[in-house]
This record gives sequence, C-alpha cells and structure tokens, in this order.
Amino acid sequence: MKAFRHQGAIAGVCSLAAGVTLAAGMTLLAVLLVQARGVLDFGFLLGAPSRFAAQAGVGPALAGTLWLTLLTAALACPVGVGAAVYFEEYAPRTRATRAIESAITTLAGVPPVVFGVAGLALFVRGLGLGPTVLAGGLTLAMLALPTVLATSKEAIRQVPSGVRTAAYALGATRWEVIRRQVLPAAAPAIVTGVTLALARTAGAAAPLLVIGAASFINYAPGTPGDPLTALPTQVFAWSARSQPGFAAVAASAAVVLLAVLLLLHLVSLALRRRLSKAAR
Amino acid sequence: MAGEHPMTLSDAPQGVPERPPGAAFRGPETASRSLQERLAGHFFRLCAALAALAAAAVAVTLASETALFFAQVSPVRFFTELAWTPVAEEPRFGVLPLLAATAQITAGAAVVAFPLGLLTAIYLEYYSDPRADGILSAALVVLAAIPTVVYGYVALDFVTPALRNIWPSIEAYNGISACLVVGIMILPTVTLLSRSALKAVPPSLVDAGLALGASPVRILVRGILPAASRGIAAALALAVARAAGETMIVTLAAGNQARLTWSPLEGLRTLTAYIAQASMGDAPAGTLEYRALFAVATVLFAFTFAVHALGGWLAGGRARQGSVRQ
Repeated sequence: MKAFRHQGAIAGVCSLAAGVTLAAGMTLLAVLLVQARGVLDFGFLLGAPSRFAAQAGVGPALAGTLWLTLLTAALACPVGVGAAVYFEEYAPRTRATRAIESAITTLAGVPPVVFGVAGLALFVRGLGLGPTVLAGGLTLAMLALPTVLATSKEAIRQVPSGVRTAAYALGATRWEVIRRQVLPAAAPAIVTGVTLALARTAGAAAPLLVIGAASFINYAPGTPGDPLTALPTQVFAWSARSQPGFAAVAASAAVVLLAVLLLLHLVSLALRRRLSKAAR
Repeated sequence: MAGEHPMTLSDAPQGVPERPPGAAFRGPETASRSLQERLAGHFFRLCAALAALAAAAVAVTLASETALFFAQVSPVRFFTELAWTPVAEEPRFGVLPLLAATAQITAGAAVVAFPLGLLTAIYLEYYSDPRADGILSAALVVLAAIPTVVYGYVALDFVTPALRNIWPSIEAYNGISACLVVGIMILPTVTLLSRSALKAVPPSLVDAGLALGASPVRILVRGILPAASRGIAAALALAVARAAGETMIVTLAAGNQARLTWSPLEGLRTLTAYIAQASMGDAPAGTLEYRALFAVATVLFAFTFAVHALGGWLAGGRARQGSVRQ
C-alpha cells in the first residue's frame, strides 16, 4: 500500500533515511573490497598465517570454518528438527512441556558470547577437550540449536492440520504421517531456518574466541581433535594487529568469510527449490 | 452403508483433534511397522531430551560458577564498587564500569538506529516504488547477514580514522565509533520489525485520514505511529538486546580499559568485551578471575533476558490488541 505520493517534508526525511541505510550497506562492502584488492588470490586462500602481512593466508582458518559448519550442522540439525517434531507432534500439551519449550527458545536471544563461556566450562574444561575444533563445533551447535528448534517448530506448525487428519483417516501411523506428509511439507521452511542458524554460527567469532581459538595455526585441521582455528577469529586477530599491511589481510579474510556465507545461502536456495518441487 | 447412516454436517466432529486418534484408526499392525513406530517415537523423544539438556547445561554452568564467585566476592561490592581490576595485585570486582559502558554503547546505538530504522521503514511501507523496495530490502538483508566481526573491522579500520580526520582528539579506541557501527548493525532488526508493525496497521486508518483531508504527516503522527507503537517498541527492545550482547565490534573498536567515563571520545570496556578478552588469556579454572567471567556472563544474560521479555510482552500485547480490534 503506497498511500502517500511523494509529497511534503516527511517524504524527504524518509527518503533521506532510506538513502543513508543504503549508503551504509554499500560503504561497508566497498571498504572491504577496496582494502582486499591486491591481497586476495589463490595463494591467500591456501596459504597459512604469517608474521609477514605479505605472506599471510587463510587456508587453515577456511578449513576450520568448513569443519565447524559441518560439525554444527551434524549436531544441531537432527537434534533441533527432531526436538521440534517431538514438541509439535508427540508432546502432550501440558504446562510443563510448554515451559521446557519456552526455556529452550529463550536461549535463541542469548548473546553468542555467553554460549562461549558455557562452552568453555562444559567442553574445553569439563570434558577436557581443550581448545579443539570439536569443542568449537559443540559450542556452536548449542548456539544454533535454539534457532533451529524455533524455526523448525514454526515450519511444522504451518503444515495444515487437514493433511494430518486425512493421512490418519487413511490408516497411516504417526511416524508415517510425519515421514510422508509433515516433514516433506515443512522441509523448505526448515531448510531456511537451518541456513539462518548455520550462517549465524559460521560468522560467530565471540564464542570461539572465548573457548580459545588460536590465531596462528599454520596447518589445516584434519580431524576434530586438532587445534581450533576459524575465519571469524582470524579476521579478529588480524584486525587487532596494528602493523601496516594487516588491515588489508583482515579485509581479505572478511571477504572470504562473506563468500563462504554466500555459498551457504546459495546451496540452501538450491536445496529449497528441489524440496519444494518434491513436495508438490 | 451410506444409506443407513447418512452423514450430516451436524454429525461431523467439531474442530480437528489436536493429537492423532488412538489405535482404532490405524492400518494393519505389522511387526516392522510397530517397530519403526516405536523407534521413531524414541528418537524424537531423545532429541527433545538432548535439546532440553543443552539448555539446562548452559543455565546450570552459569549459575554454579556465578554462585562460587559470589561466595568469594560479596554481591554488594560487585554492584557498588567503581573499579574492575580482576588481575591487579589487590583485585577489585566492581561491575559498574562494565555495565555503564554496555548501557552507553547500547543507548548510543539505539540513538543511531532508531530514527534511521523507523524512517526507513516508513519510507518502505508508504513511499517506495517496487524497485526501490527491492534494492533497499536487499541492502538490509546484506547488512543483516554480515558477521559482527566484519563490522568490527570496519569500525576500527575505516570509521575511527574517518572520525579522527574530523575530530583529531578522539582516542584510537573510543565509544563513538562503536556506537555508530553497532547502530548500523542493528539497523536491519529495527527496520524490518518496525515495518511489520506498520504493516499490521489497518489500511482503513490511512484511508480515513486521507478522506478527512489530513496531511501525510498528521496521519503518520496521529494515526499510524500510535497504532503501531507497541510493535515499534518491541522492535526497539529486540534491537537493544542485540546491541547489548554485541561483542566483536566493541572489543575491536572501544578498547579494553574498564573505566567510568561520559566522554564518547575515550575508550571503554563493555561486559561482552571483558568476557572476550579475559578468556583469551586463558584464566585457569577455579580461580576467582575465571569465575568472574561467569558472573559477568550472568549479568549480561539477565540484562538481555529482561529486555527480550519486555519486547515479547510488548509484541504479545500488540497481537492481543489486534485480535480484539478485528
């Protein structure tokens, strides 16, 4: 509804605000790209961090972020989606289950850095994992879980109840209804929510910093037991260095991080297309 | 069959049963079918238990370490002392400088984001053509998708030097750069949530205003904004909670000196920046310094929880109001 034609001072003020918002986004990207120009090449993508800005690369950090994203997805997706199915399709509607549900979804609003502190006590110290990729993956999975759960629950709730009743009327069991009707219908929306959560965790630096991500690992992590390194913490470490040249390196690492996130969204888009075609 | 018991509309069950009816409606019971059924039930219950366990583990860890901290440092001193020097010879644990810095940065970010976000939302909802809408919405999605550490880099490497060009007395680490950039970071939250609050305002309100010959400003200020005020306040509350929990921008741009200052030109240290920086020096478990991390995290948790609850209550109130009106 565009009720107001362009008229009056208020239109000017509002367009000005919109222009500032747009300019902020453009400036941000422009600063990164201008700074990264000349640094970003294949050698940078594959190389290891270095004391010398000219030789620094993001290879290990990139590998670390891919590991972390895979671990987070493998841990948070089944548990989050499964718990959403339980709460929507199985759990009795009692005060207790509703309290548990709201307690878990409340965590979605908790700052990521708090999850870092919890992960430090639970995984790094408690389970004695040390600052490893596995400890990072577990911490990020805890961070992703409330979001995956909340968005999956919403997706399952959007499936019309007529679909369920019709399937039950035809003699399907509860598991058959979930597997053949509810999950396929909810899948595209679930994928959207999972992507949102994974993109958030892939870009999260604070929790990894708290559990002790290293900024100077010169080999790519090969197993989840290797020392933790990731793109966001690498961006942080390089940004904090004052020597000339590292600003450009930090910007380049930031561009690589944005590219990883873009890739994640593109994969999710393709997956959603296929799923919604399959559901039809 | 159909002739003997003609179904009429009044015989049909009223409403849809929320849970599946019992075994009476099921198909033929086979061994593999019932095994699958049981396994699936166990799997989903296990998932829910794991999710609840993870949430409980976070809460219990924070609470127990915080309790141990307060066994050594009195809560009165924690909330009244004016210095935060956990690694000094005689450590002092006064959270006020950290809390004040978080409040200042959050307020500054809200001052940047609220007018800009609300006006952009008004532009999007009432003025933009589809093309402008598409471009602006895309810009907002990009802003929302950028990790905060990247904002932090831009704050330190672009915004602070730019500000120092205008205002040479600004310190290398300062509050104002953090305020500006955190404000931009929460801009998508403010804009998108305010826009949905505006969308919920019935169009008849605008039509009535126009029919009465009211100017757009008058319709906005007297009609639309009051009607959407709860939703806009909820948007602001959620954005404020995000700003208070934001870590990387303030760690990079505002520095790490815990001090009470009113000057936005000086460096300061927020709750989140303390957590991020203190744990990097890996404080050994069991020490007071280590437990201080949990106490600060609990304060942060409580603060964001309260703001979130307020936002949720405001949003819920709006929904209730809306349903009454319709």
